[in-house]
Amino acid sequence: METYTETNNPHPVEQADRIKTVDMIRGFALLGILLMNIPGFGINWSVYYDVLIKGAHNTKDYYTMAAIFSFFDGTMRGLFSMLFGAGMILFTQNKHEVPGGPTVTEYYYRRLLWLVLFGMFNAFILLWFGDILYYYGLCGMLLFVFRKTNPKWLLIIGFLCIGIGMLKSQLDWNETREKRHAYLEAVKLEKEKQKLTDEQMAARSEWQEIEKRSKPDTSISNRNLRKMRSGYSTLFPYLTERNADEEIWGMYNGAWDMLCMMFIGMALFGWGFFSNRLSTSTYTMWLLIGYGIGIPIGWLTFKEGLMIQFSDFNNYVDHFRVTHQLLYDIRRGLLSVGHASLLILIYRSRIVPWLMKALANVGQMAFTNYLVQSIICTLFFYGHGLGYYHKLMYHQLYYVVFAVWILQLIYSSIWLRYFRFGPFEWLWRSLTYWKKQPMKR
Amino acid sequence: MPNQFTEPGQGMPASYAIDHDAGASRIFSLDVIRGIALLGILLISIWEFGGFSTNKQTGIRILTKNSDHILLVSMMFLFEGKMRALFALVFGAGIILYMNKPNPLTLPGTQELYIRRQMWLMAFGILNAIVLLWPGDILFQYGVMGILLFPFFRMSKKGLLIAAIICTLIYCGKSFWNYTDDKSAYKKFKAVTVVEEKFKKDSAVRHNKDSISGMTKVELKKSDSLAKKRDTLTKEQQKDKGAWEGMVKGIKYDSTKAGDTTEMKAMHSGYGKMWDHLLQRSQWKEAAWLYRTGVWDIGSMMLLGMALFGFGFFSGGFSKTKYILFAVIGIVAGLSLAWFRLHYGNAKLIDYEKYIAGHALPPNQFFPIERLLMVTGYASLVMLLLRLQILQWLWRALAAVGRMAFTNYLMQTIICTLFFYGYGFGYFGRLSLVQLYFFVIEIWLFQTVFSVMWLRYYNYGPVEWLWRWLTYGKRFPNNKKTG
Repeated sequence: METYTETNNPHPVEQADRIKTVDMIRGFALLGILLMNIPGFGINWSVYYDVLIKGAHNTKDYYTMAAIFSFFDGTMRGLFSMLFGAGMILFTQNKHEVPGGPTVTEYYYRRLLWLVLFGMFNAFILLWFGDILYYYGLCGMLLFVFRKTNPKWLLIIGFLCIGIGMLKSQLDWNETREKRHAYLEAVKLEKEKQKLTDEQMAARSEWQEIEKRSKPDTSISNRNLRKMRSGYSTLFPYLTERNADEEIWGMYNGAWDMLCMMFIGMALFGWGFFSNRLSTSTYTMWLLIGYGIGIPIGWLTFKEGLMIQFSDFNNYVDHFRVTHQLLYDIRRGLLSVGHASLLILIYRSRIVPWLMKALANVGQMAFTNYLVQSIICTLFFYGHGLGYYHKLMYHQLYYVVFAVWILQLIYSSIWLRYFRFGPFEWLWRSLTYWKKQPMKR
Repeated sequence: MPNQFTEPGQGMPASYAIDHDAGASRIFSLDVIRGIALLGILLISIWEFGGFSTNKQTGIRILTKNSDHILLVSMMFLFEGKMRALFALVFGAGIILYMNKPNPLTLPGTQELYIRRQMWLMAFGILNAIVLLWPGDILFQYGVMGILLFPFFRMSKKGLLIAAIICTLIYCGKSFWNYTDDKSAYKKFKAVTVVEEKFKKDSAVRHNKDSISGMTKVELKKSDSLAKKRDTLTKEQQKDKGAWEGMVKGIKYDSTKAGDTTEMKAMHSGYGKMWDHLLQRSQWKEAAWLYRTGVWDIGSMMLLGMALFGFGFFSGGFSKTKYILFAVIGIVAGLSLAWFRLHYGNAKLIDYEKYIAGHALPPNQFFPIERLLMVTGYASLVMLLLRLQILQWLWRALAAVGRMAFTNYLMQTIICTLFFYGYGFGYFGRLSLVQLYFFVIEIWLFQTVFSVMWLRYYNYGPVEWLWRWLTYGKRFPNNKKTG
């Protein structure tokens, strides 16, 4: 047990302490997250998905989807989680305590409790049902005790979490296959005019139910469309139900998704990966490994996995003992590392220093920018705003994404010229330290 | 349940000793209350362990007036939800006690240990729920709540009391909100029944008209079936109707006991099948219940415990009159609210449709306040009796149970699952209410004797010892003679 003797006041991370590349990668991940979130904001996804998969394969929509799914699916959240883990170490390292006053531990847990509340605000008030802040706040509370763990062990724990996720998904898949098997058995007996037992009857109807659920239900999607285009007072209760369910089960069943990447991020940070401390050849190697393995898996998952699974579910269940999604975390882990390596190599090559600087600014205001994405997109798409919900084609959504990106790159740079923190960062810090923080430069 | 909270010599021995020089009785009272709460919890959880289903409870509540009725209702009246609350109260007090070490240099270390303890508690909870198959487990939830409430430990005692009251009020608000949901479901159902009535009426009118107009029998039949096709409810209407009917069915007493039979069959199967059967229930309790109810249910009581500890309630810091006052007011006011809850609860069980049409509030509207009052009352009563220095042997025994609460809690699971579940003796659903309570008393006797005996030879209960080992990352001597 160490003793804390420093007498400096605890304080928020100052400009000088920030590690530029970490902010840059965070900025990249933050903008990238919108790539994955935009369908949730903007279209009736379950319907569109179906159309995309079963429709013609030479449309702009299809190419967009192929690119998004092969390169980005899950990776931005992955990168964001990794940096969240790294940020935890940064936060706890840079604080010194006053004897008798609140400790780093207390500030850390206060900060996360506020994050949980901000997440609920984002989900229930701003009505973004894809919020991640809530989950990050809660997962972060589990990370704290690992902040001094050796990176090697952190990596092992990260892989362990991936393993648990994989095991859970495989067990679910096995169960699905068993149900399918029982159904086929029952149908076969029925064809032979044999009388079915109660259990076999149940197995038959259970599978029919699963099959029905694997296809988009027009009554549900029509209802969704109607609600999303209506006013705030209709939307609020509609999404409250959904938000609560997502937060309950997303956290309980899906914590591994975030925890695994957070642990890996902590390990990588410990080795200096995000803080630009490794050699150029190491980053090049990780770029090649990350993209070299990650992209083919991504393509395979899209082309084989998704396409077959959604166009012919029964066939998919019959033919694959494991799903393509089993490799989800490994793929996105590799791709995330690839993205980060690429960014650092670009940063080092000094090709576009202005862009890297702008990304770092976006990253420094990541919390504000994340909430601003919710505000802009809900106001653009939802019924209480401009009501563009489900009016754009899938690929057109990405025009909106580009517009938001440019806007955020510009205002982040301008804002940080005059202020030390983004507005929501300032609020969050002030709440955490329970004292108004200086804002102006 | 955390018995370390109360034990001298943990963490930083030197600082701890100073802290506890004056406080032997304070620690003792927490142990006693924890012991009472731990044993008391079984009074209610035995229903779920022993297969005394809600359906059976409903039957006894609304159909009988015999001794079973009196026994069940008095359990609901005096203990339901209250023992659990008392447990959370002591847990909350323990949070402050754990952190209340005077040396600021050791505080960061203590806090880190605190977080680790909570995380191990969560792990033990998952083990209790998912491996030992007790869906009623609360350890997981306590671990989570302990972490969520950690940032509050520095709050003033007044602030904590206000926070506890706010949580209680939010909990009340949630009951009301749920009731409003039920009400709107009922309204939708009513609207559908009006449509159905209209269909029936229209069809009768048309049928009469058609038969007067001299249609042939075949034509009449055709017209009838056509009308029947036209007069069907939309999918949404059917859903609305089904939603309400399903809810009423879930509440109403089912004399055929069809639900009970499926449950009986599942609970009398082997471990694998039972695991499948109970997994969802455990997950629901750990995820959904915690999110929707538990945060307020457990949080309000923990905060109250933290506040009362600050006021010196558990260290005998109040005057005798104050304890008497608290005990009388708390218990009397709490019991009157409990009476309302049970009285209106009966009305709801008999006919929810009638109830919802005629009442603005649900029966459990003030349950959180009832708990708050009664728990304060019970705790005051114990403090008072301790002050009077009577029945010393009993308090010592209960304190031993309280010091080993974690061990005893898991032991209750092991004993009850092995006695009731299919892979054990399989007495699930086969005992009467009176028999169940005989069993509870047996367990009480066993646990009390076991705890007293164990602590004669060892410093900590076995699970407490393991917990400390895991938290500190090193083994502590447990044997009293060698340690």
